[in-house]
Amino acid sequence: MNFAMALDYQSCIDCKACEVACKEENGVQLGADKQRIWVSQSEKSIFGEPFVALHPSQCNHCQDAPCVDVCPTGSSYFALGGIVMTNKDTCILCKGCMEACPYDARFVDDTHVAVDKCTFCYDTRIVNGEMTTACQATCPTKVRLFGDLDDEEGELIQMLNKRKFYVLKEDEGTVPKLFYMLPEHDKNYAMNSVDPDTNIYTWDEFKPIIEMAKAKRKPQWQNMQE
Amino acid sequence: MQVEISRRKFLQGSVAFSIVGGSTATFTNLLATDKKPLHKNVKIATVCEMCVNKCTAWAKVENGIVKKLDPNPLFPKSKNMLCARGDAGIHALYDPDRLKYPLIRIGEKADGKFKRATWEEAYAAILDGTDKFTGLKRILDEEKDNRSTLGYCAGEGMGEHTFKQFMGDMMGTTNFVNHSSICLKTTTAGYALTLGAYGKADMDNASYVIMAGANRAEAILTPDTMDMFKRTRGRGLKLIVLDPRYTNTAIHADKWLGIKVGTDLAFVLALTYIVIKEVLYNKSFVAKNMNNFEAYKKHILENNYTPQWAEKITGIDAHIISTIARDFMAHAPKSIYYQGRRTAWSLQDFQLRRAQAIFTALGGGIDVKGGIVFGKKLPLGDHIVEVPIYSNVKQRIDKKEATFVGPNGTWIGFRNMIAEKRTPYPLRALFSYKQNPMQAIPNVAKSRKMFENLDLVVTIDTMPSDTVMMSDVILPECTYLEREDPVKSFAGVEPAIILRNKVINPMYETKALFDILKGLSKRISKPLFEVSAKYDEELKKALKDDGFEETFEEYNFDFTKAFEHTQEHINKERVVSEYGEKAYQILKEKGVFYPHMDKYFKQLSANEYQYYPEDKKYYTIPGGEKLDAQDTCIDEKEMASLKKNLGTNSGKVECYLETMEKNGQDPMPTWRDELYNETPKGKFKFVTGRHAQQTQNATANNIMLLDVMKENYVWINKEQAEEKGIEYGDIVEVKSSIGIIHIKAYPTIKIIKDVIFYVHGFGQESTGLTFGYRNGASDNMIIEDTIESVFGTAAMHETLVEIRKVG
Repeated sequence: MNFAMALDYQSCIDCKACEVACKEENGVQLGADKQRIWVSQSEKSIFGEPFVALHPSQCNHCQDAPCVDVCPTGSSYFALGGIVMTNKDTCILCKGCMEACPYDARFVDDTHVAVDKCTFCYDTRIVNGEMTTACQATCPTKVRLFGDLDDEEGELIQMLNKRKFYVLKEDEGTVPKLFYMLPEHDKNYAMNSVDPDTNIYTWDEFKPIIEMAKAKRKPQWQNMQE
Repeated sequence: MQVEISRRKFLQGSVAFSIVGGSTATFTNLLATDKKPLHKNVKIATVCEMCVNKCTAWAKVENGIVKKLDPNPLFPKSKNMLCARGDAGIHALYDPDRLKYPLIRIGEKADGKFKRATWEEAYAAILDGTDKFTGLKRILDEEKDNRSTLGYCAGEGMGEHTFKQFMGDMMGTTNFVNHSSICLKTTTAGYALTLGAYGKADMDNASYVIMAGANRAEAILTPDTMDMFKRTRGRGLKLIVLDPRYTNTAIHADKWLGIKVGTDLAFVLALTYIVIKEVLYNKSFVAKNMNNFEAYKKHILENNYTPQWAEKITGIDAHIISTIARDFMAHAPKSIYYQGRRTAWSLQDFQLRRAQAIFTALGGGIDVKGGIVFGKKLPLGDHIVEVPIYSNVKQRIDKKEATFVGPNGTWIGFRNMIAEKRTPYPLRALFSYKQNPMQAIPNVAKSRKMFENLDLVVTIDTMPSDTVMMSDVILPECTYLEREDPVKSFAGVEPAIILRNKVINPMYETKALFDILKGLSKRISKPLFEVSAKYDEELKKALKDDGFEETFEEYNFDFTKAFEHTQEHINKERVVSEYGEKAYQILKEKGVFYPHMDKYFKQLSANEYQYYPEDKKYYTIPGGEKLDAQDTCIDEKEMASLKKNLGTNSGKVECYLETMEKNGQDPMPTWRDELYNETPKGKFKFVTGRHAQQTQNATANNIMLLDVMKENYVWINKEQAEEKGIEYGDIVEVKSSIGIIHIKAYPTIKIIKDVIFYVHGFGQESTGLTFGYRNGASDNMIIEDTIESVFGTAAMHETLVEIRKVG
């Protein structure tokens, strides 16, 4: 098992159903700055016409996650399937992980006095055998596809085999596992929705990067704490 | 370590600020009831009521508490999703500001002073009044049993019909107003009179859609929203968006056109001109299915509705208009000029909707896959209620406020007549169910005046809205998760029946509408019958012959009879009588039923389901001409040119409406310069709209939804904001002829010049709303109470405003 998520971000309408479903599912603290997932809007003007791209996002569950390394108490750890988790009982709020995360995916949960972040609904759904996250299940346009990178027959791998994608902040070397599916049919839109220096991958190209990082990190995967 | 700070703070806050109904909220009675829980740990099928779409959901119950709402993927209309509001439904249930028990006004009107009452005391106050207000009995006595002295209004919902039946059929009044005239009347009427019905845009199969003003990314409509945004930008559906704003829908468009406010009709007429001039229409469809096409053709050509003419009015390049007309017809019949919903915008709105419908029909995209379809409705058994007849009832008050005022009224006309004291007979009481006229109707000052002029105001609601604060008696309804509602059948390409089960027992002393009306019936039936007996000549005869008790029973004045059986019992009978016991069991357990669901319904992938196999879908109304079933290479255009069986009088698309002509309205869509108001220099046209995080003003206190959007901002074109020195977050004053508001500014390139916008649903004035009180501004504080003349629908985009920085 190696859990990951593909995002067909072209279909996102920024309705925020995912944000609310996440909060309800996981009991995330109220407050606009307390978000496990979010939708970022990048707005620009092209020849005087507005252009907006929507990028839904959350923790990238990096295969080679820096937040795990910096944690002095082992509160940030890899659960089975490579999901990056936090143990709220052992967190001392040093916030090193928040500094280390290139994606700003972590925040302080005042109700638990600990750092909080996306868990891919590992504790509420995945351990119970469900294979959709709350954000995927609730989405009107079905932007997300959660799945297992080790399952060659699975829908996620089938999609990654079929379509090109990119990841966020590849230069950080964290080997993120949120795959942004490049829009296939509208080249202009695809081009405008991506930073020009972003690498576009096929699964054949990206798989070795994942495999290498996985080999390095898998020994650290452990049963869920708490 | 777990320090439940937020929740505890949250609850304390609710106690301190809950002014309506005292402060007895404690942890235990907030989250539990005295009653034994209905269910301990289960998943119950329910239907969302956070907006009008009625998505099916699973409610997860743990120890009698609703912990999570998840999408129930069995319903073809809602598919497998819940939006932000649906997800946040739990916070409607556990809102600490909920109305918890009946309340009776003890202070002056609108000052927020109420006393807690029992249900019996509340019913008695409605009947007999108090020292502060007049009761029903005296009002009806003074009005000599003219039942029409009672007005009533209802918000959209599964209980609307029950309420209408009670007030209209049993109590006998003609004066009903609902959301129609502040929402979609011109559109539903425009399409119904032209095509036979409003229909449904088949966004699953359309290949070219012009979406003008409608905003399906933010104003979610199922299944259109889910269907279309999976298919935009090269994925099968070409989308043209016309809107003064670059909305979230425009983000997905192949082309966005920032049209000038109120000029859409000119745009459609110019499209029509090109199609007729260049003979691009589906000739066979037109010949077989359009009535008076020749007259329309002549009308369009003679009026010279050229793209060049339209360019001057709309601000859209003539070449673009011509190209769109040609592209539309090239994709036809899978081309739709999208109907839209929340209208009217301008004084010419009805003619605009007619023009859109006729334009779509020119391509043949009516009653065919990929076009505007009508589908099939699954019948439900009848539930018959016997009702009395009153002799002294009068015609509704607002009949002459517009050319055609139907049974749903014209809210602005109705409201203004009461506010301005010009009703043909006294309209003295208003019963409001789940509607919030104080926030919903343009010109709030006049709504306030209306309430001040009423002798008795009774509201049934879950939250202390601005309207509830204007009441004399408040009857607290339970939320949708605490009651079973009338079973509902949804027509469409994939029809289905859905049921909202009760998930938990009603909290506090709240009741379902059905039970509220049952209790009220028990208290008021006989005393009001006594009033009728005094003034009704017909009834006097009967009383002489049959005596009091028998006449009361036999002539159906005993309303309690309608509530003899429970809602559950009635639902069961209506389903079992049509589909049998097993169907009812399926519906009860799964929340959804349609014939062959067990065979047809399949999960295709993690994100996709099949509801009906393609060959079992109802794209076309039965009764029309059919192609030879053996013919395997069916041409789409040919399919679209069959003779249809439309619901209009002629069975065809109506280009010319004689009823309009007879009543002084245009029989064919005609641009009227005199009905178009240009924006003078220095002023802005105000437009309003919806978004996906709040439903009108009903969810204004939902703490989870406020988390994703706390307040509204006014959109102003970036260049014009710069000229005025307005920056992001500045407080600005927006002033119209009827009101002034203050709001934060959002200068953006996403809105054209000379237009400003802010979203509806904010600026609540009720101090009973701890979280929703005065967040942002109410649009209806500044929107003028202008109505279009055909149906009396609020023309919401005709208001001119000034804007300036104040802080």
